[in-house]
Amino acid sequence: MKHKSGWLLKIPFVVAALIAVILVVTGCVSGLTAVGWSGGTVSDGILYVGSREGRLVAVNLSDDSRTFSEALVPISQPGLFGCAPAGGGCSAGAVSVPVYGIPAVSDNLSYMAGYNGKVYAYSIDNLAVRWVYPREGYLQPIVGGIVIAEGKLFFGCTDGKVYALDAVTGDKLWESAATGDKIWGTPTIAGETLYIGSFDKKLYALNIADGTKKWEYASKGSIISTPLIYQDMVIFGSFDRNLYALNASDGTLKWQFTGKNFFWAEPVVYNDTLYVGCLDKSVYVLNPTTGAKIAASELDSPLASQPVVVNDTVVFASTKGVVYSLSTVTNEIKKLADLKKAVNGPLTASGEIVFIHTQDNVLQRLNAVTGTLLSSISLSSS
Amino acid sequence: MNVWELIIQQPLINVLIVIAHYMGGSFGVSIIILTIIVNLCMLPLTLSQIRSTKAMQALQPKLAELQKKYGKDRQKLAQEQMNLYKTAGVKPAGCLITMVIQMPVWIALYQSIMLAMAVAPEGLLNLSRFLYPWNAVYGALPLSRSFLWLNLAQPDIFLAILTGASQWVQQKMSITPSTDPKQNQQAQMMLWMMPLMFGFLALSFPSGLALYWVVNNTFRIILQYRVSGWGGLRRQVKQPAAPEKKALQFGPSAETKPAEQPSAGTVVADTETKIVDKSSLKPGKTRFQPGRDRQKNRPKK
Repeated sequence: MKHKSGWLLKIPFVVAALIAVILVVTGCVSGLTAVGWSGGTVSDGILYVGSREGRLVAVNLSDDSRTFSEALVPISQPGLFGCAPAGGGCSAGAVSVPVYGIPAVSDNLSYMAGYNGKVYAYSIDNLAVRWVYPREGYLQPIVGGIVIAEGKLFFGCTDGKVYALDAVTGDKLWESAATGDKIWGTPTIAGETLYIGSFDKKLYALNIADGTKKWEYASKGSIISTPLIYQDMVIFGSFDRNLYALNASDGTLKWQFTGKNFFWAEPVVYNDTLYVGCLDKSVYVLNPTTGAKIAASELDSPLASQPVVVNDTVVFASTKGVVYSLSTVTNEIKKLADLKKAVNGPLTASGEIVFIHTQDNVLQRLNAVTGTLLSSISLSSS
Repeated sequence: MNVWELIIQQPLINVLIVIAHYMGGSFGVSIIILTIIVNLCMLPLTLSQIRSTKAMQALQPKLAELQKKYGKDRQKLAQEQMNLYKTAGVKPAGCLITMVIQMPVWIALYQSIMLAMAVAPEGLLNLSRFLYPWNAVYGALPLSRSFLWLNLAQPDIFLAILTGASQWVQQKMSITPSTDPKQNQQAQMMLWMMPLMFGFLALSFPSGLALYWVVNNTFRIILQYRVSGWGGLRRQVKQPAAPEKKALQFGPSAETKPAEQPSAGTVVADTETKIVDKSSLKPGKTRFQPGRDRQKNRPKK
């Protein structure tokens, strides 16, 4: 009887534990974890990319040797299961800082921004940290990339502001007035003007000298894509399913093109033709002057990665990891490779080789001309 | 997209976003409204569950009688219990069936809230594949995480406490007392364990989810009250006698028999009776005095 009563009394614990497991498992749904999807930048035969470990990795493209920086330091995460850290996500056990933006290189320094709200400058010789901004404390998460121009470093932040730092010393030069919502995109600079989109649905044009606003344009959806400057236009995608082209000088609308889902990735222009991928799984070929559709191709899955131009082809990667090549002559699209890994970050090209950072922390290499998949490079330091 | 996502999650997410769009972009209000709507859709099942619980409570005295009568014969007891349930029109398994039907809906709503919040960039990218091609949907994103004092993407301790407290009240109201003390003990343990667990989980998840739990519990409390009152929360107070009941009176009545007179050999002692001389007692009829007589009767060494 004692044994039976002991078993009966354990039932509430078992039921409670079962319910807790169900809640945790069903609650941590796919896509909630902040992981990062940094693209790469090539300078003097070295490819710089942020890894999933929160490190800057310098890959020597001639011999595939790698140099790793120190891992970025995460800020403390509230919640038992890490389900609501600064920026969120169910990341029980995760301790690395996600890196989303493309690192920048200028002179003998390379720069990387982390989701922990800090910007780091590294010596390109050994990736030792030269300076950190802010020196103490953290900003809100930084998702977009860094842009360097005229000795200054620019980036947008989740606090809705654009920051300008001295690229050599890391001193803050100015910060803009806060926009209405967070900034997750990368700025674009043309002349004395910086263009950046915000989640308050506006595209801003700021003076790079002091961050004051020149003009703003209100779309109907949040803006995360990096604006593209083409001739006297600024072209950008919005979450309202539109691709916009504005006069760069005053922000007046020239044309808009409507897709079926978010325009997430930056478009590219080649030979006076605009190529853009959309989260509706389509690649659109447009006339950049009028926005008229020239061609469209539907692929296997949404396109979130910024494409690259290699020879006369534009290379796209879908989120499921299928790589396509679109001929700029015939507008025909063909499949180059199936990496079978998620691809969310921008592609990088050096010569005929396209570098693709897949979500398993591996740098895939693909010859875009022959379609040959070359040996991959692990971005893990262990 | 799998069947679960297509049929359950996708509609819920889009409805959540559209409601937020028409509520000035407020995700918090949208969570409250959608939780209420889903509860209203599940109302027939929930009412059935509550009524079934109430009927079970009413049957407890009869179940106790059966337990006394057939306690040792388990088979007979089970048979009689089933007959009683059948006669009363109660389906004990009905509660379980309604819970099984309701669980996927709650899980779907719970997941939809997490997905729609799209806290991380990956979450926002993932959300895009669930969206219907409606202008109201695309215009509303991303949803505003501010609601009252809350950041819906971050845990909140006050809301976590509220989650636990509302869970406790709801359980206390629906608790079914049992004749089996062990079942009562289990029920008491669950009464405290579940609210503590939910409160603890609410501290670990975004407060948007805790908001959903609080609204859900509040709805059920109101429903429970309407159907069966405060239930286990009702305080046990002494009830005054109803005025129409006559008070009991103690006193002689015509039908009372007179007290019997003691027989001759009976020793009667009271304050007014003289102590009876022992020598007057008939031989052989002595009063046994335990301490004394034991000593007297002890054999001598």
